[in-house]
Amino acid sequence: MASTLFEKIWDSHTVTDEGGSSLLYVDRHLVHEVTSPQAFEGLRLGGRGVRRPDLTVATMDHNVPTSNRSLPMADQTSEAQMRALERNCDEFGIRLFGMGSPNQGIVHVIGPQLGITLPGTVIACGDSHTSTHGAFGALALGIGTSDVEHVLASQTLWLERPKTLEVMVSGVRQNPRAVTAKDVMLMIIRRMGTGGGAGSVIEYRGKGMTDLSMEQRMTVCNMSIEAGARAGMMAPDEKTFEYLRGREFTPKNYESLVGEWRELRTDRDAEFDGTFELDIGGMAPQVSWGTSPEMTCDVTEDVPDPGEFAAGDESRLRAAQRALKYMDLEPGTPIREIDIDRVFIGSCTNARLEDLKEAADVVRGQKTAPGVRAMVVPGSQMVKRQAEQMGLDSVFEDAGFEWRESGCSMCLGMNPDILGPGERCASTSNRNFEGRQGAGGRTHLASPVMAAAAAIHGRFVDARELV
Amino acid sequence: MSGKVIKYERDNIDTDVIIPGQYLKIHDYDELARHAMEGMDPEFHSRHGSYILAGKNFGCGSSREHAPIALSHSGIKAVLALSFARIFYRNAVDGAFLLPIEIDEDAYGAISDGNEIDVDVGTGTIRDITAGKEYKMHPFPDMISKIIEAGGLFRYRPE
Repeated sequence: MASTLFEKIWDSHTVTDEGGSSLLYVDRHLVHEVTSPQAFEGLRLGGRGVRRPDLTVATMDHNVPTSNRSLPMADQTSEAQMRALERNCDEFGIRLFGMGSPNQGIVHVIGPQLGITLPGTVIACGDSHTSTHGAFGALALGIGTSDVEHVLASQTLWLERPKTLEVMVSGVRQNPRAVTAKDVMLMIIRRMGTGGGAGSVIEYRGKGMTDLSMEQRMTVCNMSIEAGARAGMMAPDEKTFEYLRGREFTPKNYESLVGEWRELRTDRDAEFDGTFELDIGGMAPQVSWGTSPEMTCDVTEDVPDPGEFAAGDESRLRAAQRALKYMDLEPGTPIREIDIDRVFIGSCTNARLEDLKEAADVVRGQKTAPGVRAMVVPGSQMVKRQAEQMGLDSVFEDAGFEWRESGCSMCLGMNPDILGPGERCASTSNRNFEGRQGAGGRTHLASPVMAAAAAIHGRFVDARELV
Repeated sequence: MSGKVIKYERDNIDTDVIIPGQYLKIHDYDELARHAMEGMDPEFHSRHGSYILAGKNFGCGSSREHAPIALSHSGIKAVLALSFARIFYRNAVDGAFLLPIEIDEDAYGAISDGNEIDVDVGTGTIRDITAGKEYKMHPFPDMISKIIEAGGLFRYRPE
């Protein structure tokens, strides 16, 4: 019978079925310091061990400081959480890329970079943006701490079978340097809504998607969760195989695996439970104006009227009104007249080498606008080293940006990198929720190019005029 | 089980407003509970609710299990919503923190903030004691029902 990519992976990983749910085998389990302490504690209390420490990898990312790491940590509770992960990994024999490791970084940046993320695998991690790894044709699932404990103990996960949703992206971006994968994903969420993918695993298809590089595909799959999906994925292709060649943990039998990976695609006659179509020809760079990723518009547009945005939906009307109040924006204000205070280039969505290169191209030889504080937080130590070899650190620092150590940083405001109340930020991260980047902080989601340009001009500009 | 309803007429209540990121380092559940809903409702604790009533996509965003934990340790027995984000839903059930109950528009529209309700999972009924009305909840999927009955994922034994 013809099946989708998702179905092939799901069926080949099902250990047993019960009442519409499957016990899925997990090939790779990624662990970080914030959602794991209670899981390890649970193992101890239950007298259980880690079933496959060899398939489990840990790093510290959510609350690591991104300033000078030779100094003692200012935040004692963060330090305690990181020390706990060290003890837990030591006790249970798990490989840890700790704060001093050259492989430390955001868990969703280092997995692919090290060749831990592979096509056709089931990957679990106690973080919602695990969907990132779907860019490699993996079924990558974000889970909570109870499920983290379950995976640690059994290397399996009980899941209700999700529906399949095809997102078919056609067309060619005009000026792909200015209209990026981030813009495409923001447009998908804007059109589908934050509930559009509810209960589904998305497969991204079409020329608009296969044209993307691996790092760009990761940006798209990363924000599947913002569309409400359980996961997002793309069929692996030659770009995927080439990306994985020779990485540190890429299996030794890589050549024979590539043959199997080529079979990982949706069969011609396979049917999806639903389809969403988008043509990206002629689309503009996107900027979010509200407090949900679906509250996004073209950079050339104005902040919408809540009534217009709601289109008759009471609940959307209230949400838009509340969002504009929180964001301190008036309907009809051109996006290009919104002044910003801060710029954050970072996160598991947009802190890979290509992101930093694209941003640097806009920044080179310029200065940040007076009063704007801008920071670049590379996704991993490896990204940071590679960027420094290319001289990108100097490009940013010469322009007045801060060049920092790798971690989640201001995406979620767990470490000292936060917005002050009322501060307005152009951010390459994934969520513009109220208070996400610090209590009272105002987030505008945008691509690295758009955020970098905003830092230079002090307000949003249309990247198509610059690159 | 009966108790008072705290109603939020809004969709997409995310885990960042349920428990802001800065508190994810707290391991003491009662301390965590003190910051529940801090991101959107500073009055949350003084309203002494046992149930939250909300719109679509409750618990969207991060996978932090701190969200259902903070609510349950604030005395919330169940969240009644039009729909839930999947990770929040499973966290609530797997850790046996609270019940995520899906309801229809009629119950969402009719039950008022502050009303006393009684939730009976056995019969699938929500009784609005204050208004003297009754509503049906959506049944839990089979597997979820079994995990709830067992008292959490780690107590559940497959057949």
